[in-house]
Amino acid sequence: MIADSVALAAIAGMSAVTYVSRIGGLWLMAFVPLTDRVARALKALSGSVLIALVVPATLQGDAAMRFAVVASVCAMAATGRTIPSMLLGVAVAAGHRHLA
Amino acid sequence: MIERTEPTRISPAGLVDGAVRIAPVAVFVVPFGLAFGAAATQVGLGAGQATLMSAVVWAGASQFAALDFWTHPLTLLPLLLAVFAVNARHLLLGAALYPWMRPLPAWQRYASASLISDANWAMAMAAYEKGERDLGLLVSSGLMMWLAWVGGTALGAGLGAALATPERFGLDALMLTFFACVLVDMGRREDIARPWSAAALAALTAVWLLPPNWHILAGGIAGGLVGAFAHDR
Repeated sequence: MIADSVALAAIAGMSAVTYVSRIGGLWLMAFVPLTDRVARALKALSGSVLIALVVPATLQGDAAMRFAVVASVCAMAATGRTIPSMLLGVAVAAGHRHLA
Repeated sequence: MIERTEPTRISPAGLVDGAVRIAPVAVFVVPFGLAFGAAATQVGLGAGQATLMSAVVWAGASQFAALDFWTHPLTLLPLLLAVFAVNARHLLLGAALYPWMRPLPAWQRYASASLISDANWAMAMAAYEKGERDLGLLVSSGLMMWLAWVGGTALGAGLGAALATPERFGLDALMLTFFACVLVDMGRREDIARPWSAAALAALTAVWLLPPNWHILAGGIAGGLVGAFAHDR
Protein backbone atom coordinates (compact mmCIF):
# COMPACT_ATOMS: atom_id res chain seq x y z
CA MET A 1 0.00 0.00 0.00
CA ILE A 2 1.36 3.39 -1.03
CA ALA A 3 1.07 6.20 1.51
CA ASP A 4 -1.44 8.86 0.50
CA SER A 5 1.22 11.58 0.56
CA VAL A 6 3.45 9.60 -1.82
CA ALA A 7 0.52 8.84 -4.13
CA LEU A 8 -0.51 12.49 -4.22
CA ALA A 9 3.07 13.59 -4.91
CA ALA A 10 3.26 11.10 -7.78
CA ILE A 11 -0.05 12.31 -9.23
CA ALA A 12 1.07 15.94 -8.92
CA GLY A 13 4.35 15.11 -10.64
CA MET A 14 2.57 13.26 -13.45
CA SER A 15 0.24 16.20 -13.89
CA ALA A 16 3.14 18.66 -14.11
CA VAL A 17 5.11 16.53 -16.57
CA THR A 18 2.05 16.05 -18.77
CA TYR A 19 1.14 19.74 -18.71
CA VAL A 20 4.68 20.63 -19.74
CA SER A 21 4.32 18.20 -22.67
CA ARG A 22 1.04 19.86 -23.67
CA ILE A 23 2.32 23.46 -23.64
CA GLY A 24 6.02 22.79 -24.36
CA GLY A 25 5.81 22.58 -28.15
CA LEU A 26 3.64 25.68 -28.35
CA TRP A 27 5.97 27.56 -26.01
CA LEU A 28 9.10 26.57 -27.95
CA MET A 29 7.62 27.67 -31.26
CA ALA A 30 7.32 31.22 -29.95
CA PHE A 31 11.14 31.40 -30.18
CA VAL A 32 11.28 30.10 -33.75
CA PRO A 33 10.75 32.65 -36.53
CA LEU A 34 7.72 31.50 -38.53
CA THR A 35 9.42 31.41 -41.93
CA ASP A 36 7.85 29.69 -44.95
CA ARG A 37 10.01 26.69 -44.27
CA VAL A 38 8.90 26.41 -40.65
CA ALA A 39 5.29 26.91 -41.71
CA ARG A 40 5.64 24.06 -44.20
CA ALA A 41 7.16 21.83 -41.52
CA LEU A 42 4.27 22.54 -39.16
CA LYS A 43 1.78 21.97 -41.97
CA ALA A 44 3.28 18.55 -42.63
CA LEU A 45 3.46 17.79 -38.92
CA SER A 46 -0.19 16.99 -38.14
CA GLY A 47 -0.59 14.26 -40.71
CA SER A 48 2.88 12.92 -39.99
CA VAL A 49 2.15 12.53 -36.27
CA LEU A 50 -1.05 10.67 -37.08
CA ILE A 51 0.76 8.45 -39.60
CA ALA A 52 3.36 7.66 -36.94
CA LEU A 53 0.53 6.75 -34.57
CA VAL A 54 -1.56 4.70 -36.98
CA VAL A 55 0.90 2.78 -39.16
CA PRO A 56 2.94 0.95 -36.47
CA ALA A 57 -0.11 0.37 -34.27
CA THR A 58 -2.01 -1.15 -37.20
CA LEU A 59 0.86 -3.37 -38.29
CA GLN A 60 1.52 -4.51 -34.72
CA GLY A 61 -2.16 -4.99 -33.90
CA ASP A 62 -4.02 -8.26 -34.20
CA ALA A 63 -6.00 -9.22 -37.29
CA ALA A 64 -9.15 -7.63 -35.87
CA MET A 65 -7.32 -4.32 -35.53
CA ARG A 66 -5.94 -4.46 -39.06
CA PHE A 67 -9.32 -5.31 -40.60
CA ALA A 68 -10.87 -2.51 -38.56
CA VAL A 69 -8.45 0.11 -39.90
CA VAL A 70 -8.77 -1.12 -43.49
CA ALA A 71 -12.58 -1.08 -43.23
CA SER A 72 -12.73 2.46 -41.86
CA VAL A 73 -10.20 3.79 -44.37
CA CYS A 74 -12.27 2.33 -47.23
CA ALA A 75 -15.52 3.65 -45.77
CA MET A 76 -14.02 7.09 -45.20
CA ALA A 77 -12.60 7.22 -48.72
CA ALA A 78 -16.02 6.29 -50.12
CA THR A 79 -18.29 8.40 -47.92
CA GLY A 80 -16.12 11.12 -46.35
CA ARG A 81 -18.03 10.71 -43.09
CA THR A 82 -15.68 10.27 -40.15
CA ILE A 83 -17.89 8.95 -37.34
CA PRO A 84 -19.82 6.27 -39.29
CA SER A 85 -16.55 5.11 -40.87
CA MET A 86 -14.89 4.93 -37.45
CA LEU A 87 -17.81 2.97 -36.00
CA LEU A 88 -17.78 0.55 -38.93
CA GLY A 89 -14.15 -0.21 -38.06
CA VAL A 90 -15.06 -0.83 -34.43
CA ALA A 91 -17.90 -3.13 -35.51
CA VAL A 92 -15.51 -5.05 -37.78
CA ALA A 93 -13.05 -5.48 -34.90
CA ALA A 94 -15.80 -6.64 -32.53
CA GLY A 95 -17.22 -9.02 -35.15
CA HIS A 96 -13.82 -10.48 -35.91
CA ARG A 97 -13.11 -11.09 -32.23
CA HIS A 98 -16.44 -12.82 -31.71
CA LEU A 99 -16.05 -15.09 -34.73
CA ALA A 100 -12.33 -15.81 -34.50
CA MET B 1 -6.38 24.65 -51.33
CA ILE B 2 -8.28 27.86 -50.69
CA GLU B 3 -6.61 30.04 -48.06
CA ARG B 4 -9.16 32.00 -46.07
CA THR B 5 -8.06 34.93 -44.00
CA GLU B 6 -10.49 34.62 -41.11
CA PRO B 7 -8.88 35.69 -37.84
CA THR B 8 -8.25 33.21 -35.04
CA ARG B 9 -11.05 33.41 -32.49
CA ILE B 10 -12.89 31.46 -29.81
CA SER B 11 -16.63 31.93 -30.36
CA PRO B 12 -19.70 30.41 -28.69
CA ALA B 13 -20.68 28.89 -32.03
CA GLY B 14 -17.27 27.24 -32.31
CA LEU B 15 -17.54 25.91 -28.77
CA VAL B 16 -20.91 24.31 -29.51
CA ASP B 17 -19.64 22.94 -32.81
CA GLY B 18 -16.58 21.33 -31.20
CA ALA B 19 -18.61 19.68 -28.45
CA VAL B 20 -21.14 18.30 -30.92
CA ARG B 21 -18.53 17.02 -33.36
CA ILE B 22 -16.43 15.19 -30.76
CA ALA B 23 -19.38 13.80 -28.80
CA PRO B 24 -19.58 10.48 -30.72
CA VAL B 25 -15.87 9.91 -30.01
CA ALA B 26 -16.02 11.11 -26.41
CA VAL B 27 -18.88 8.71 -25.61
CA PHE B 28 -16.58 5.81 -26.36
CA VAL B 29 -13.86 7.20 -24.10
CA VAL B 30 -16.08 6.38 -21.12
CA PRO B 31 -15.42 2.60 -21.35
CA PHE B 32 -11.69 3.30 -21.34
CA GLY B 33 -12.14 5.49 -18.29
CA LEU B 34 -14.04 2.62 -16.71
CA ALA B 35 -11.20 0.23 -17.54
CA PHE B 36 -8.62 2.61 -16.13
CA GLY B 37 -10.59 3.23 -12.95
CA ALA B 38 -10.96 -0.50 -12.40
CA ALA B 39 -7.30 -1.23 -13.15
CA ALA B 40 -6.18 1.61 -10.88
CA THR B 41 -8.12 0.33 -7.89
CA GLN B 42 -6.67 -3.14 -8.50
CA VAL B 43 -3.11 -1.86 -8.00
CA GLY B 44 -4.14 -0.05 -4.83
CA LEU B 45 -5.17 3.46 -5.80
CA GLY B 46 -8.21 4.75 -3.98
CA ALA B 47 -11.23 5.66 -6.09
CA GLY B 48 -10.63 9.32 -5.25
CA GLN B 49 -6.95 9.08 -6.19
CA ALA B 50 -7.72 7.40 -9.51
CA THR B 51 -10.30 10.04 -10.36
CA LEU B 52 -7.95 12.82 -9.30
CA MET B 53 -5.23 11.36 -11.51
CA SER B 54 -7.55 11.29 -14.52
CA ALA B 55 -8.66 14.84 -13.80
CA VAL B 56 -5.21 16.42 -13.50
CA VAL B 57 -3.15 14.17 -15.81
CA TRP B 58 -5.76 13.26 -18.46
CA ALA B 59 -3.54 11.19 -20.71
CA GLY B 60 -4.79 7.61 -20.80
CA ALA B 61 -1.82 5.72 -22.17
CA SER B 62 0.57 7.33 -19.69
CA GLN B 63 -1.81 6.66 -16.80
CA PHE B 64 -2.02 2.97 -17.65
CA ALA B 65 1.79 2.96 -17.89
CA ALA B 66 1.98 4.62 -14.47
CA LEU B 67 0.08 1.75 -12.87
CA ASP B 68 3.08 -0.50 -13.53
CA PHE B 69 5.04 1.73 -11.15
CA TRP B 70 2.40 1.60 -8.42
CA THR B 71 4.25 -0.81 -6.17
CA HIS B 72 5.81 -0.25 -2.80
CA PRO B 73 8.14 1.66 -2.70
CA LEU B 74 6.98 3.95 -5.47
CA THR B 75 10.00 5.24 -7.40
CA LEU B 76 9.10 8.72 -8.51
CA LEU B 77 11.78 9.53 -11.08
CA PRO B 78 11.35 6.43 -13.29
CA LEU B 79 7.59 6.94 -13.09
CA LEU B 80 7.80 10.55 -14.26
CA LEU B 81 10.27 9.67 -17.01
CA ALA B 82 7.91 6.99 -18.31
CA VAL B 83 4.98 9.41 -18.21
CA PHE B 84 6.98 11.99 -20.11
CA ALA B 85 8.09 9.43 -22.69
CA VAL B 86 4.51 8.40 -23.39
CA ASN B 87 3.33 12.02 -23.53
CA ALA B 88 6.25 13.56 -25.43
CA ARG B 89 4.16 13.38 -28.62
CA HIS B 90 2.11 16.26 -27.15
CA LEU B 91 5.09 18.52 -27.89
CA LEU B 92 4.44 18.03 -31.60
CA LEU B 93 0.69 18.48 -31.25
CA GLY B 94 1.27 21.83 -29.54
CA ALA B 95 3.85 22.92 -32.10
CA ALA B 96 1.44 22.14 -34.94
CA LEU B 97 -1.15 24.35 -33.26
CA TYR B 98 1.23 27.32 -33.03
CA PRO B 99 0.33 29.08 -36.31
CA TRP B 100 -3.35 28.85 -35.38
CA MET B 101 -2.91 30.00 -31.79
CA ARG B 102 -0.29 32.66 -32.44
CA PRO B 103 -2.69 35.63 -32.64
CA LEU B 104 -4.17 34.84 -29.22
CA PRO B 105 -2.97 36.33 -25.90
CA ALA B 106 -0.52 34.02 -24.11
CA TRP B 107 -2.93 33.00 -21.37
CA GLN B 108 -5.52 31.88 -23.92
CA ARG B 109 -2.87 29.94 -25.82
CA TYR B 110 -1.66 28.04 -22.76
CA ALA B 111 -5.16 27.53 -21.39
CA SER B 112 -6.30 26.11 -24.74
CA ALA B 113 -3.19 23.95 -24.96
CA SER B 114 -4.07 22.30 -21.66
CA LEU B 115 -7.09 20.86 -23.49
CA ILE B 116 -5.03 19.06 -26.14
CA SER B 117 -5.63 15.35 -26.45
CA ASP B 118 -4.97 13.20 -29.50
CA ALA B 119 -8.52 12.88 -30.76
CA ASN B 120 -9.77 16.44 -30.39
CA TRP B 121 -6.45 17.77 -31.66
CA ALA B 122 -6.74 15.58 -34.76
CA MET B 123 -10.30 16.73 -35.37
CA ALA B 124 -9.34 20.39 -34.90
CA MET B 125 -6.27 20.17 -37.15
CA ALA B 126 -8.31 18.56 -39.93
CA ALA B 127 -10.75 21.48 -39.65
CA TYR B 128 -7.87 24.00 -39.57
CA GLU B 129 -6.47 22.57 -42.79
CA LYS B 130 -9.85 23.24 -44.40
CA GLY B 131 -9.70 26.89 -43.36
CA GLU B 132 -11.48 26.76 -39.99
CA ARG B 133 -10.02 29.30 -37.53
CA ASP B 134 -12.35 29.01 -34.54
CA LEU B 135 -10.32 27.54 -31.66
CA GLY B 136 -13.53 26.94 -29.73
CA LEU B 137 -13.51 23.71 -31.73
CA LEU B 138 -10.41 22.50 -29.86
CA VAL B 139 -11.40 23.88 -26.46
CA SER B 140 -14.88 22.41 -26.13
CA SER B 141 -13.95 19.10 -27.74
CA GLY B 142 -11.08 18.86 -25.25
CA LEU B 143 -13.48 19.49 -22.39
CA MET B 144 -15.80 16.75 -23.67
CA MET B 145 -12.93 14.27 -23.90
CA TRP B 146 -11.80 15.26 -20.40
CA LEU B 147 -15.30 14.86 -18.93
CA ALA B 148 -15.70 11.43 -20.52
CA TRP B 149 -12.31 10.28 -19.24
CA VAL B 150 -12.78 11.59 -15.70
CA GLY B 151 -16.38 10.43 -15.47
CA GLY B 152 -15.48 6.99 -16.78
CA THR B 153 -12.62 6.71 -14.31
CA ALA B 154 -14.81 7.69 -11.35
CA LEU B 155 -17.40 5.13 -12.38
CA GLY B 156 -14.86 2.36 -13.00
CA ALA B 157 -13.03 3.03 -9.74
CA GLY B 158 -16.32 2.95 -7.89
CA LEU B 159 -17.70 -0.17 -9.56
CA GLY B 160 -14.52 -2.22 -9.75
CA ALA B 161 -13.36 -4.66 -12.38
CA ALA B 162 -16.67 -6.16 -13.51
CA LEU B 163 -17.02 -4.45 -16.87
CA ALA B 164 -13.45 -3.59 -17.76
CA THR B 165 -13.09 -5.24 -21.17
CA PRO B 166 -13.43 -2.64 -23.96
CA GLU B 167 -11.52 -5.00 -26.31
CA ARG B 168 -14.42 -7.45 -26.44
CA PHE B 169 -16.47 -4.80 -28.19
CA GLY B 170 -13.68 -3.78 -30.53
CA LEU B 171 -13.36 -0.47 -28.71
CA ASP B 172 -9.58 -0.67 -28.62
CA ALA B 173 -9.78 -0.07 -32.38
CA LEU B 174 -11.77 3.13 -31.84
CA MET B 175 -8.96 5.69 -31.64
CA LEU B 176 -6.97 4.01 -34.37
CA THR B 177 -9.91 3.96 -36.78
CA PHE B 178 -10.75 7.57 -35.89
CA PHE B 179 -7.19 8.70 -36.63
CA ALA B 180 -7.18 6.67 -39.84
CA CYS B 181 -10.37 8.44 -40.94
CA VAL B 182 -8.88 11.85 -40.12
CA LEU B 183 -5.84 10.87 -42.20
CA VAL B 184 -8.05 9.98 -45.18
CA ASP B 185 -9.68 13.39 -44.75
CA MET B 186 -6.30 15.18 -44.60
CA GLY B 187 -4.98 13.01 -47.43
CA ARG B 188 -7.07 14.84 -49.99
CA ARG B 189 -4.27 17.42 -50.02
CA GLU B 190 -1.63 16.89 -52.67
CA ASP B 191 1.59 17.70 -50.86
CA ILE B 192 1.45 14.90 -48.31
CA ALA B 193 2.94 11.88 -50.10
CA ARG B 194 6.57 12.58 -49.25
CA PRO B 195 6.20 13.74 -45.63
CA TRP B 196 3.81 10.91 -44.83
CA SER B 197 6.08 8.27 -46.36
CA ALA B 198 8.96 9.67 -44.34
CA ALA B 199 6.82 9.66 -41.20
CA ALA B 200 5.77 6.04 -41.69
CA LEU B 201 9.32 4.93 -42.42
CA ALA B 202 10.81 6.80 -39.47
CA ALA B 203 8.11 5.59 -37.09
CA LEU B 204 8.54 1.96 -38.11
CA THR B 205 12.33 2.24 -37.87
CA ALA B 206 12.00 3.82 -34.43
CA VAL B 207 9.75 0.98 -33.29
CA TRP B 208 12.67 -1.38 -33.90
CA LEU B 209 15.56 0.85 -32.81
CA LEU B 210 14.33 3.13 -30.05
CA PRO B 211 12.82 2.39 -26.64
CA PRO B 212 9.00 2.17 -26.61
CA ASN B 213 6.89 5.32 -27.17
CA TRP B 214 9.41 7.43 -29.09
CA HIS B 215 8.28 6.36 -32.55
CA ILE B 216 5.47 8.95 -32.74
CA LEU B 217 7.95 11.73 -32.04
CA ALA B 218 10.41 10.27 -34.57
CA GLY B 219 7.77 9.94 -37.28
CA GLY B 220 6.32 13.38 -36.69
CA ILE B 221 9.71 15.09 -36.79
CA ALA B 222 10.76 13.18 -39.92
CA GLY B 223 7.53 14.12 -41.68
CA GLY B 224 7.86 17.75 -40.63
CA LEU B 225 11.45 17.96 -41.88
CA VAL B 226 10.57 16.42 -45.23
CA GLY B 227 7.60 18.79 -45.47
CA ALA B 228 9.91 21.74 -44.84
CA PHE B 229 12.46 20.80 -47.46
CA ALA B 230 10.46 18.85 -50.05
CA HIS B 231 9.72 21.95 -52.15
CA ASP B 232 13.40 22.71 -52.68
CA ARG B 233 14.06 19.82 -55.01
